[in-house]
Amino acid sequence: MVPVEWYLLLAAGLFCIGLFGVLTRRDALYFLMSVELMMNAANVNFVAFALYYGDLTGQVFALFVIALAAAEVAVGIGIILVLYRNFGDIDVTVPAEMRW
Amino acid sequence: MFDVYVPTVVLLPFVSFLVALGAGQYLPKRGALSGIAATGGSLLLSLLIAASVAGGQAYNETLYVWAAGEQFTLTFGALIDPLSALMLVIVSLVALLVHVFSLGYMNDEGEVGLPRYYAGLGLFTASMLGFVVADNLLMAFMFFELVGLCSYLLIGFHFREPGPPSAAKKAFLVTRFGDYFFLVGVVAVFATFGTAAFAGEGSFPALAEAALAGSTTVWTPGDLEVQTWFTVVGLLVLGGVVGKSAQFPLHTWLPDAMEGPTPVSALIHAATMVAAGVYLVARMYGFYALTPTTLAVIAFVGGFTALFAATMGVVKDELKQVLAYSTISQYGYMMLALGAGGYVAAVFHLTTHAFFKALLFLGAGSVIIAMHHNENMWDMGGLRSRLPVTYYTFLAGSLALAGIFPFAGFWSKDEVLYEALVHGLNDPLLLGGYVMGLLAVPVTAFYTFRMVFLTFHGEPRSETARSPESVRWNVKGPLSVLGTLAVVTGFINMVPVQKVLGLEGIDYLHRWLDNEWGGIAGLSSHHYAEVGPYSSAYLVGGEAGTVLVGAAVSLGLALTGLGVAWRLYDVPTPTEHTAALGGIKAVLYNNYYLDELQVWLAYRIEDIAGGADTVDQGIIDGVVNGVSSVSLAGGSRVRRIQTGLVSEYAAMLTLGLLALLVVLGLNGGWFL
Repeated sequence: MVPVEWYLLLAAGLFCIGLFGVLTRRDALYFLMSVELMMNAANVNFVAFALYYGDLTGQVFALFVIALAAAEVAVGIGIILVLYRNFGDIDVTVPAEMRW
Repeated sequence: MFDVYVPTVVLLPFVSFLVALGAGQYLPKRGALSGIAATGGSLLLSLLIAASVAGGQAYNETLYVWAAGEQFTLTFGALIDPLSALMLVIVSLVALLVHVFSLGYMNDEGEVGLPRYYAGLGLFTASMLGFVVADNLLMAFMFFELVGLCSYLLIGFHFREPGPPSAAKKAFLVTRFGDYFFLVGVVAVFATFGTAAFAGEGSFPALAEAALAGSTTVWTPGDLEVQTWFTVVGLLVLGGVVGKSAQFPLHTWLPDAMEGPTPVSALIHAATMVAAGVYLVARMYGFYALTPTTLAVIAFVGGFTALFAATMGVVKDELKQVLAYSTISQYGYMMLALGAGGYVAAVFHLTTHAFFKALLFLGAGSVIIAMHHNENMWDMGGLRSRLPVTYYTFLAGSLALAGIFPFAGFWSKDEVLYEALVHGLNDPLLLGGYVMGLLAVPVTAFYTFRMVFLTFHGEPRSETARSPESVRWNVKGPLSVLGTLAVVTGFINMVPVQKVLGLEGIDYLHRWLDNEWGGIAGLSSHHYAEVGPYSSAYLVGGEAGTVLVGAAVSLGLALTGLGVAWRLYDVPTPTEHTAALGGIKAVLYNNYYLDELQVWLAYRIEDIAGGADTVDQGIIDGVVNGVSSVSLAGGSRVRRIQTGLVSEYAAMLTLGLLALLVVLGLNGGWFL
């Protein structure tokens, strides 16, 4: 059986890739994808610990997170759509109106 | 019976106030008739009350509790004893006569704004009557303030002219200055005794007496001795008295207050409002009698004021100004009597003075009507044959004021001086007050008869004086009533006759105030004499001899003053004669420059206030403004991190998370 540390390393790697995407990309769609990656890192953790402790609660939570991610994508796509309508672009650095 | 009568006495004039205010415009005499009806009703009820007191009844009840607390209960109540019954009669009688006189002085002269005038008179009478029946110090204070408000409204009645509003403000502010001390005194009384009732077992004079005897304890600030603290409280309350009764140095408002209509001067500045101060001291005399220092201060201030005001009356040109200074001077006598332990003498002088001074003011009002509102005595002369009723009543009042036997003022002033003398022989400060009071006697007689001779004798010195306007019954009526009273009031208390001839029982006022017919225990002149600090000493010939010598000296001095006035001014064409005074004339004419001094003091205080303002604006506000500008500047820097770029927010979230992790790690010791 694969030790739990490996799963955790995988999850940490996924999370860092997602974070890297969020911090460096300017395209809103990449943003959305990066956030998905970070959420799936969390899912991996849930499932890994569920296996480790022999408790199904973690897996149930993973299912919840998947549902939540679907909802989040729906909202996110909507936001991107509005972004495009208002600015003619989905570059997140263009709308900087909401500042001091 | 008292339950109904006492509130009605106070409320009747108040109803007249409401009627005049609300419907005065539509009434035939603009509210005068309702005022006359109300004060007449008050007078009748007051007489009934006095009769019941003479029948052995007294009344001391709480009528309404308006704030009940853990430590204090604040109430309205009524206290009817011989003193307040007497005062009720005086106030309602003078108010009634003034209302009648106003028909002649205001209505017949075609003044406008009369509903306001009669409303003011009604409210004034109501508040003064409320003050008289007050059974505790706080209620007295409230009505005291109402009286002050009414004086403001009435003095400033002709508010379109420049003088009256300014005089009204001055009267209001100067008396208010004294009332600050009074208010602090009321609070001090509450803090010390937990009650402000005037009479009864748990009243504050009774508690004070018990505290001095050591049978009870009262609160004092710090470790202050009870006696010292009582003196302080007494002096604080005295502040209000000095303001209202126009004693030195707060007397400056009263001469200016002559700007008000003359009947108002008669009502407020001669017979009743100014009497409030003296009445207050008499009301709580059981407390004052316990503090010898306060009594000495009262006596000295009174004696000084008597002489001081009298000297200023000597040079005045206007009829009402002379009367104003004589009022201040006479109230000085009352204070002298109170300070000298002469409780009855003070009340006696208060009574006689109320009548003869109201008479003199109304007489002056009659002259002013006749002279078409010219008050300068140098334009008058020869009015004797043209205004006979006014002349003879005015003469009676003047003889009373000058203290000529057997007019009312002689008896009361003589008793004041007698009390000051017999108690003062053991007490130098009191003796000083007596000497000043005695010196004021010839001066009083002099200026009074200077006024009489200039106004009524000699040749007319102006066209108006040659053919003065005649006055009607509504002026002559009140004058006649008061003229009679000015002659006979003295006979209620002929102490000198009693002492010299050995007749017993003709000192009716003494017996009245000594609860001989009825009253409240602890509020008798006998009791006050027992707790008071004074003992009597006599000159040659024992009591009777001292009485005779004192009366002879004061009568002689009064006659001297009268004689000098007669020599100088009872000539066909009198001249000023004031040049002989040299530089003193200017000083007297300008009232010893006291007004200027007070204005100067006010400006110096304004300077201090300006300095305080600088400190406040510069330093205190500077600190507050500094703090706010630091936050403003800080805020405008810090908000720059709100760039609006979502990537940077994400970066900051990440940095925050990292920082949290580092902190948690350091705390949890992961890196060790």
